[in-house]
Amino acid sequence: MKSRLLTVALGILTAIGGFLDAGDLVTNAVVGSRFGLSLAWVVLVGVVGICVFAHMSGKVAAVSGRATFEVIRERLGPTTAGLNLAASLAVTVLTLVAEVGGIALALQLASSVDHRLWVPVAALAVWLVLWRVKFNLMENVTGLLGLTLVGFAVAVFLLGPDWGDLAAQLVPQVPVQESAAVYWYFAVALFGAAMTPYEVFFFSSGGVEDGWTVKDLASSRLNVMVGFPLGGLLSVSIAACAAIVLLPAGIQVDSMSQLTLPIAEAGGTLLVAVVIVGLVAATFGAALETALSTGYTLSQYLGWSWGKFRRPARAPRFHLAMILALVVAVGVLMTNVDPIAVTEYSVVFSAVALPLTYLPILVVANDPEYMGEHVNGRFMNVLGTVYLFILVVAALAAIPLMIVTEAGG
Amino acid sequence: MRRTRTGPRDVSREPEPRQPGRVLDARLHLLDRQVLDVDGMPVCTLDDLELEAVDGRSAVDERIDGSVPVVITDLLTGPVLGTRVFGGRPPASRWHRLPWAHVVDIGTAVRLSVRSGDLDATWLERWTRDHIIGRIPGGNHDPESSG
Repeated sequence: MKSRLLTVALGILTAIGGFLDAGDLVTNAVVGSRFGLSLAWVVLVGVVGICVFAHMSGKVAAVSGRATFEVIRERLGPTTAGLNLAASLAVTVLTLVAEVGGIALALQLASSVDHRLWVPVAALAVWLVLWRVKFNLMENVTGLLGLTLVGFAVAVFLLGPDWGDLAAQLVPQVPVQESAAVYWYFAVALFGAAMTPYEVFFFSSGGVEDGWTVKDLASSRLNVMVGFPLGGLLSVSIAACAAIVLLPAGIQVDSMSQLTLPIAEAGGTLLVAVVIVGLVAATFGAALETALSTGYTLSQYLGWSWGKFRRPARAPRFHLAMILALVVAVGVLMTNVDPIAVTEYSVVFSAVALPLTYLPILVVANDPEYMGEHVNGRFMNVLGTVYLFILVVAALAAIPLMIVTEAGG
Repeated sequence: MRRTRTGPRDVSREPEPRQPGRVLDARLHLLDRQVLDVDGMPVCTLDDLELEAVDGRSAVDERIDGSVPVVITDLLTGPVLGTRVFGGRPPASRWHRLPWAHVVDIGTAVRLSVRSGDLDATWLERWTRDHIIGRIPGGNHDPESSG
C-alpha cells in the first residue's frame, strides 16, 4: 500500500517537474515582461488541452498497445500520414534544437563558458542517456530535478508584490503599449508552448515503453490531471516573476540570464543556483523527450522496431534516427543561431502542427475496434471537439499573425 | 414509370452475400497495419497484399474484377513507399513477401508466427545493427537501471 502511494506521488511529482521545457520557460518570461499576466488565461486553456490530449493518447496506447504514429499511418494512409510525419518531424527537430540550446544556455549561466562550447557536450550527454539509461530512471531523475523550478513560485512570494495589482493583471486585455495582433501572436505562441506535439508522441509511446495496461489508466490519469495543472502554475509564476520585475523596468527577455534576473533580486545567488539546476533538468528532460519523439514518429510510421525498453541492437534504426536528429541539432546550433529565437519560432510552429496529431487520436479514441469499452465518453468528446476547434483556429492564425507582427516585433 | 436496368449485370457492384465468421476489410483492417512477429517485435508496416484467384490465376498477370473469388497469398512490404505515395507499381522483385500462412492474428496489429530475425523484410534492420549500432560500445547491452 505504502509503495503504491509512493509510486503515485512520484508520478505526480515527475509530471510537475517534467511539464516545463525551453519553450515554456522562454515564452512565459517574454510574455510576462511584455504583457504582465494578461495572457495567463492562455496557459489555463493550454493546460486543460494538454490534459485532454495526453489522457486520450495515453488511453489509446494502454488499451490498444498502439502508439500515436502507428495509428496515424493506419488511419490516414501513407500519403497523408507522410505529410503529417514531415510536418511533425520538422517541428520536433526544431524543438530539439531549442532544448539542446536551452541546456547549453543554462550551463553557460552556471559556468560563464560560452554556450556554443556546451552544445556538443550537452548533445553527447543526451545521447549517452538515450543509449544507456532505463526509461523510468531517466524520467524520474529529470522530473524530480525539474521540480527545483519551484524557485520561480518562491521568488514571486519573496518579491512581495502588490497582490491586488497582480490579480488585476489577470484580466485578459491588450496593454496600451502593444497592438492587438502582437497580443494574439503571443497568445498562439504560449498555447503552442503549453501543447507541443512531441508531448503527445512521447506520452503514447512512453505508455507503451512503461508497458501500460488498462489497469494503469487510473494512475496515469491522476498524474496528468494533478501534475500538469501544477506545472501550469509554475509556468504562470515564471510570467509573474517577469511581470513584477522586468515589466516595470522595461526589460525585454532575449537571453537566459534575464530569465533569472527576478530570481536573483528575490532570493540572491542561492535561489539562482537552485533554479539553474531546474533549468538544466527541464531542458535536458525535454531534449531527451524530443529526441525520443523523432525516433518514435519515424519508426512507427515506417514499422521499424522502436523503444528504449529494447537494447539498442534490437531497435537499431530507431537509435540511428535519434543519433541523426542530435547531429542535426548540434549542426544547427553551431551556425551561431540564437537558441532563444529558435525557441520562440518552435512554439509557434508547434501550434501550426498540432491539429495534425490531434485529429487522428480523437478519431481512434472513438473507435470501438481499438478501444473496446474504453471509447471516449460524451464529456470527453464534447471537450475534444471544442479543443479541435481551438487548435484549428490557432493553427490557421499562427502564420498570418507571425507575418503581420514580424514575429512579435 | 419503372426504371429498368440497362446493360449487362455488373457482378462487382452486387452486395456481397453475408459470410460466416469475421469479415475483414482489406483497406481498413490490413493495409498500413503494424506487423509484429511471434515475440511482439515490430517487423514492418503492411504495404500491400498479393491476391490470387482460386482457380490459380495471379492478380499481377491478369486483371481480376470483383466477380472472381480470390485468396490472399502473401503480405507485401518493402521499399515501396515512393510508389504508394506517388503512384505506379514497383517491379515484383522489389517486394518482400510474408506468406499469409504465417499470420496468426489480426487485431490492432497483424501478428505472425515467425521470428522477425529470419525474415527478408528486416534485412535493413540487421544491416544497421551489424554495421553501425552494434559496433558502438554498449549497443548490445540492456539499458542500466542504476549508476
